[in-house]
This record gives sequence, structure tokens and C-alpha cells, in this order.
Amino acid sequence: MLEIKGVRSGYARGADVLKGIDLKVAPGERLAIMGRNGMGKTLLAKTIMGLVKPSAGEIRLEGEPIAGMPAHRISNLGVAYVPQGREIFGDFTILENLRMGVIGKPNLGLEGLEKIYDWFPILRERQTQRAGTMSGGQMQQLAIARALIGRPKLLLLDEPSEGIQPNIVHEIAEKLSTISATEGLTVIVIEQNFEMVEILAERVAFLENGRITGESPTARLIAEPELITQNMGL
Amino acid sequence: MGTVFGLALDALNYTSVLLLVCIGLVIIFGLMQVINLAHGEFFLLGAYTVLVAQGVGVPFWLAVPMAFVAVGLVGLLCDAAILRFIYDRPVDTILATWGLSLAIRQAIVIVFGAQSQQVIAPLTEPVEFFGVSYSSYRLVVMLIAVLVALAVFLVLYRTSIGLAARAAMANRQMAQCLGINMRRLDRTTFSVGAGLAGLSGAVMAPLMSVDPQMGMGFVLPAFLSILVGGVGSPVGAIWGSVVIGGSTTLVSAWWTPVVAQIVVFLLAIVTIRFLPSGLSGLRQK
Repeated sequence: MLEIKGVRSGYARGADVLKGIDLKVAPGERLAIMGRNGMGKTLLAKTIMGLVKPSAGEIRLEGEPIAGMPAHRISNLGVAYVPQGREIFGDFTILENLRMGVIGKPNLGLEGLEKIYDWFPILRERQTQRAGTMSGGQMQQLAIARALIGRPKLLLLDEPSEGIQPNIVHEIAEKLSTISATEGLTVIVIEQNFEMVEILAERVAFLENGRITGESPTARLIAEPELITQNMGL
Repeated sequence: MGTVFGLALDALNYTSVLLLVCIGLVIIFGLMQVINLAHGEFFLLGAYTVLVAQGVGVPFWLAVPMAFVAVGLVGLLCDAAILRFIYDRPVDTILATWGLSLAIRQAIVIVFGAQSQQVIAPLTEPVEFFGVSYSSYRLVVMLIAVLVALAVFLVLYRTSIGLAARAAMANRQMAQCLGINMRRLDRTTFSVGAGLAGLSGAVMAPLMSVDPQMGMGFVLPAFLSILVGGVGSPVGAIWGSVVIGGSTTLVSAWWTPVVAQIVVFLLAIVTIRFLPSGLSGLRQK
């Protein structure tokens, strides 16, 4: 589904933070990328999404090279991005936020709305409410729903558990895991919170100083938690 | 009573035209973060389009939409040739649009000369109502301004492209990640914004002397209106135009236009001092 080879990228020219990322994600797989702050996790998500141009390397989505493509074209190829901080449109209603999920997609309307409401019933109840008035957990559900309504093939989540109560984190992780299994959706989740990772991801890749320094099935990390601290350089 | 009513009509007339100019500026700034210093010259180009069209026998009411299209095309050209390369450098966009304004104004001087010219108003008979004799053409200008402003707001708040534009104003990067082609949206916005300035110039041409400096008289109060109403807020443009347009007309009538300018500047300074997000910021409070 997604193949990243030797990707180097940075926010400023000549100052690469990612120093040669190699990663493969299979169709329908749920991969977590873990790492300490400042290791380049968000930059990797932004580079995949086309918000930051890589200085070197290849990114292929279902075989098609997407490195350096503008974000709107990558989105239309089937990559949905839920950024850190959610970035929902606070002045828009919940329904308008959901409409934003399909507005840039050719030949896609709101036909998936009922399914979205079934997955996240709170959004149906509050569809005319201003999104900025919701709680953090509800905003995260809206951000994920806005991504899913565009029928992506790959969902890219950056720190979805940030600032959310543990019980809501658990609920969101379970829901995403079910959606991924039933819809065949590939998920890449960037996380520091292992509670979310252990429910959602099948495999974990560790990012340290701009490189993938280790990979492990999640089940092994649950059995041997010391591997997490070792791999995250803690 | 008649004087007050006449004054109110004058204020409404100035406010409605100011709103037309402001909407173009505010959508360009809100979406692209470009402070378009050439907006006054787009106004000017609209007026000269009508002057030329009338000169070759085109009826006035056909020349007005022609001005919208012609100046919109000029905007499209400016975007493609200059602005698209410097969108991410705000200071450079200010310098570039300032340079563009000088170039347009000098081109007008070269082609048409520096002297004032006159566009003939399509309606000259005054109308009488509530004891006041008022220019029928000014009433039509108000109607056009209100209808165009209404149409722009309908597009912005009731259509998908309007939703996409408002999303891009709120969070450009996220809008892109949701599949919105920002390049196309920027191009359309700049062109429509320029076209609206051209339209304002076209409808105002019979009420002003058409000369190369005429745009300046509108662009400055338009910028003040945007600051007072709230930068980047289309609804704020309405409040800003009402405050600046209304106070300019009223103070000019009671004192002098010079005093009006001082009062309006002070009003703008006080508003920005206490409401940095302008009047539209009151909603968020």
C-alpha cells in the first residue's frame, strides 16, 4: 500500500530532520510509529501528506510515486490526514465539517453520512452545533469522521490521544480498529501513548533521530514492555 | 427631516459602494493573506472600461458587467504572472501589488492622459420621495451594491465553493489536506476580487470624475473598513463599511471632509485599540 524508501526531509532547506526513512505498510495493516518528542514523527506524516517536500527518497502509494505532490492530489489519491491538534473548523457546524471531508473529492457526496453517524452517534445528535463548542474527545471523533467520510485507503493519524481522557482514547482506538478491519482501511498512527497503540496497531515502528531504528509486532511489546523503553531510547 | 433623510441616503450610498470594494479586498486577504494595494487601480480600470465602452457606443448597462469581466481577467493575469510566485512571502506581495498599482496608474496616464473625463449617467432624472429629491442613479447604485453583496454572501455561506473558501480562510493547510486545490481557489478568488473592484469603479464612474487618481479615494477607506470590521472576515466588511461609510458622510455634512477624515481615522484607531480583531471580534467575546 505505502512504500517509503530513503526519505530525507526537513522544515528548512539543508536541515533534514528525517535522515533516510525506509518503511513498508501492507494494505489493511495498522501500523504505529512511536518515538520521543522532536524525533520527526509529525514531519514524517506531513511529508507523506505532501505538506513538506522531501529533499530525497521515494514515497509510493499503491505503486504510484507521490513524493512532492501537492497535498490536495495526495488526498484525492486516497490518503486522509488527521493532524495533531485535530484542526477541525471551529466556526463551522459539525455537518459543515463533515461536508469538508468530501468537498474536494470528485464524484463523492454525503452518501456515507449515515455510516459515519452510526460509527460516531454523538455527531448525529449535534450536527447543527458549532464544532468549536465540543469537548476534546468529540472534536477528535469529528476529525476522524471528517477523514473517513472521504473514503480514504490510508488513514494517517498524528497523536490522536493527545489531550483526551483515557476512557475516550480506549473507545476511539477500539472503533478505529473495527472500522479498519471491516473496511479494509490501512492506518498509520503516530503515537506516544501505548494504550492507544496496543488496541489499534498490529505493528510498531520506532523513530529515533530521523531514522526507523526498530520494528516489532504489538503483541510482543505487550508481552515485553521493556522493549518500548529500550526502543524509544528512554 | 428631509435633510436628515437625504443625508441618510448619501451615507447608505457611500456605505454600499464601500462594501463592494471591501468584499473583494477582504476575500483576497482572508484567503490568500495578500494585502492587495492594487485594488484601487482595479476600481480605476472598471471606470475606464465603462468610459471606453461608452465611447464606442456600448450601452452603459452592458458596459458594467463588461467591466467586471475585463477587470476579473486583468486580476487573473496578475495572479498568473506575478502573485502566484510570491504567495508565501507576504511582504513581497505588498511590494508587488504596490508596484502593480503604480504600473496600472501610469499606463492609464499614457493611454488616456492625466485629465479628468466624464462617464454619462444612464439615469439623470431625480426622484421625489419623503419630501426629498434624490438622484435616481444613486438609488440604482445602492441597489446594485446590495444585490452584488448579497450574491457574494450567498455564494460564501450557501454553496460548496463558498464553504471551501471559508475553510481555506480558516485553515489553508487543512483545506488542502481535505483535497481542495488551493491554486485554483486562489486564482478564482483574486480574479473575482479584482472583478468586484472593477464593478464598483464602473457603477461609480458616472458619479465621479474619471481620472487616474480616482481609485485612491476608495481604497483607503476600504482598508480602514476592513480593519474596523475585522481583517479576513466577510461579515466584518459589512460592519466596517457601515461605520466608516456612515461616519464619513455624516461628519462631512456636519463639519468638513477634512474633519471627517480625522474623525474616521481616530475612530479606526480607537476600535483597533480596544478590539484588535475588529467589530467581528465581538462575536468571539
